[in-house]
Amino acid sequence: MHSKPKVLWIDAVSCYGCSHSFYNYPQIKEILNKIDLIYHPLLPTKEFEIKSSDILIIEGAIKSNFLRLGFDLIDLIAKLIKLSRKVILIGTCSVYGGMFGEGILFNKEDKGKFYKCKDKIISIPGCPPHPEWIAYAIEMVLNDKKILLDSENRPKEIYSYTSHMGCVRNEYFEWKVDAKNFGEKEGCLFYEQGCQGPYTHSSCNKILWNEVNSKPRAGTPCFGCTEKTFPRKDLFKTETFMGIPANIPLGVSKRAYLTLAGVAKSLTNERLNKRLIDEDN
Amino acid sequence: MKITKKIISKIEGEATLKLHKKDKIIEFAEIEFWQYRGMEEFLKNRHYLDACVINPRVCGICGHSHLIATAKAIENALDVKITKKAEILREITLGLEIIQNHIKWFYLTLYPSVKQKDFFKALEFAKDIAKIIALIAGQFPHNSYAIPGGVTCDLTNLEIIKIKNFLYEMFERYQKIMSVDGKSEDLEELFEDIPKDIGRGLNRFLVLGDNLYFSSNGDFKFIREEKSTSLNKNVLYKDKFYEVGPLARNLNNPLVSSIYKKHKDSVYTRIFARLYEVNLIFEYLLKRIDEIEINEKNYIKPTQKNAKGYGVIEAPRGSLIHEIEIEDEKIKRYNIIVPTQFNLSNGNKLNPSPAQAALMNEDEKYADFIFKCFDICAICVSH
Repeated sequence: MHSKPKVLWIDAVSCYGCSHSFYNYPQIKEILNKIDLIYHPLLPTKEFEIKSSDILIIEGAIKSNFLRLGFDLIDLIAKLIKLSRKVILIGTCSVYGGMFGEGILFNKEDKGKFYKCKDKIISIPGCPPHPEWIAYAIEMVLNDKKILLDSENRPKEIYSYTSHMGCVRNEYFEWKVDAKNFGEKEGCLFYEQGCQGPYTHSSCNKILWNEVNSKPRAGTPCFGCTEKTFPRKDLFKTETFMGIPANIPLGVSKRAYLTLAGVAKSLTNERLNKRLIDEDN
Repeated sequence: MKITKKIISKIEGEATLKLHKKDKIIEFAEIEFWQYRGMEEFLKNRHYLDACVINPRVCGICGHSHLIATAKAIENALDVKITKKAEILREITLGLEIIQNHIKWFYLTLYPSVKQKDFFKALEFAKDIAKIIALIAGQFPHNSYAIPGGVTCDLTNLEIIKIKNFLYEMFERYQKIMSVDGKSEDLEELFEDIPKDIGRGLNRFLVLGDNLYFSSNGDFKFIREEKSTSLNKNVLYKDKFYEVGPLARNLNNPLVSSIYKKHKDSVYTRIFARLYEVNLIFEYLLKRIDEIEINEKNYIKPTQKNAKGYGVIEAPRGSLIHEIEIEDEKIKRYNIIVPTQFNLSNGNKLNPSPAQAALMNEDEKYADFIFKCFDICAICVSH
């Protein structure tokens, strides 16, 4: 009988949100049945041992003077990476550092401690990453399929999208109608509430969370949680310069954006300037 | 006397358990947590709204409770009242977080410490509970839909209908795990080879939150934190250790109370209360969802800029406290006290915490099980 690929899932400095996100993958059983899960921080497995693996999954950031399972965390990660064939970094902490320290591949903008291992690493950032992204990375490696990666080792099939794509508030963005308040169906959250949708690499609004929703659809701005800058300061505010957003949607020049915005603002879309569900008529 | 040291993992993080034993009987147990993530420091000088994104990341399994406690602490500081609709929606998402927590704990944490059991049905159930949370809050885990002043979502009746039908379906499905009359094959199977009356705690209970159907029996102002030998802080109420959690807050339920009379505050009663609580939460949420007035406001913008406040709720594992000090809209001080700190404080032999008391005088072979029946969240402790 062919033995199953060995997968070792190790937790660095994390909150276990990546694991709990993965639990929501509807076919998790099918994936777990295909692999030999030699260790996971929460799921039932054998006791932890430093062992070789076909896939090493790392959840969480690295930090010095931090003990994990009785080992120094950074030494432990170095040994496990060396003993693995492929490494999947899940979560923004693990890729860039996120909230809790340094990333494995990057330390925010800079190269990280294990940048030299880049060739065997796949980055799946997100706080947490979508369960389908984690499943995708595992399946692609299991099936030995070629993954097209961008310069930060993120799969292009996931991170070429922005979280703006598929947002139900897109029409408000087109016509430059900003949300007046939280808790309302109407308006785009990009102008006042700090939404990072137009420049956040993620397919959240394409595939949806828990198969039903997304933060912007629930009126919460996208916080750019897949990016190296997460969590930036003033998460609910849009940084502006002379009254216009300081960061312009990906791929557009500032001049082009301002021209388009000016035109859209001068031509009022009356339907979008009133309540979506009007009680009066 | 022999002392053994063991790292306990798979408890949403890890802890060290030092057992002082005589002939396999535990005379005393030291509980230590060695990890620190510095989240309260991370919050300093940030806008208070940032706490609604940072704090859920305290924990992947009960982060939503941290969000609700954050919103409540800020609302308390800035003297903001929220609408009844926003309050009900928060009750639903928090209640559901408790439910997914309990089911994961029972099948993924507790069961494996005794015997093998199919855990996929637990994941399947928790996944569907998370879906209901996402219908309201956008996603699970790690949403930020509860903000000071209310909620960010603006539901239509389409979602309300879907949520209500989904709640009925899940309540029905839960009957196979534990019925409304307290019958549970899986619970009895768990206890096939384990005595029901072991692991008795201090028999002192504390409830500080009054969300859902819970009623508090204390005032958080009597809480005191003290340094422990490890990185966590001990938590005392009126200078004494107290047990918090599902057993504490459901003792006034007739069924839980009858089990308590028979088995006292043992492992069995503790686990029973936790599993039974799910039924009570479903019943409560199904009642509350009908009270939603769809046209009521979701959000009222806070106007004040400086103040101190606190938010206290009943989270999956018991009373959770967030304290905040705001100056010119920025966070000056933040303090989090989590339920595991109450139950797993590291006291001494004469004055042990609930979990230490539960381990004392028991056979070492039950140590792991007794420890885990408190549903430990090590990652919350190491905030």
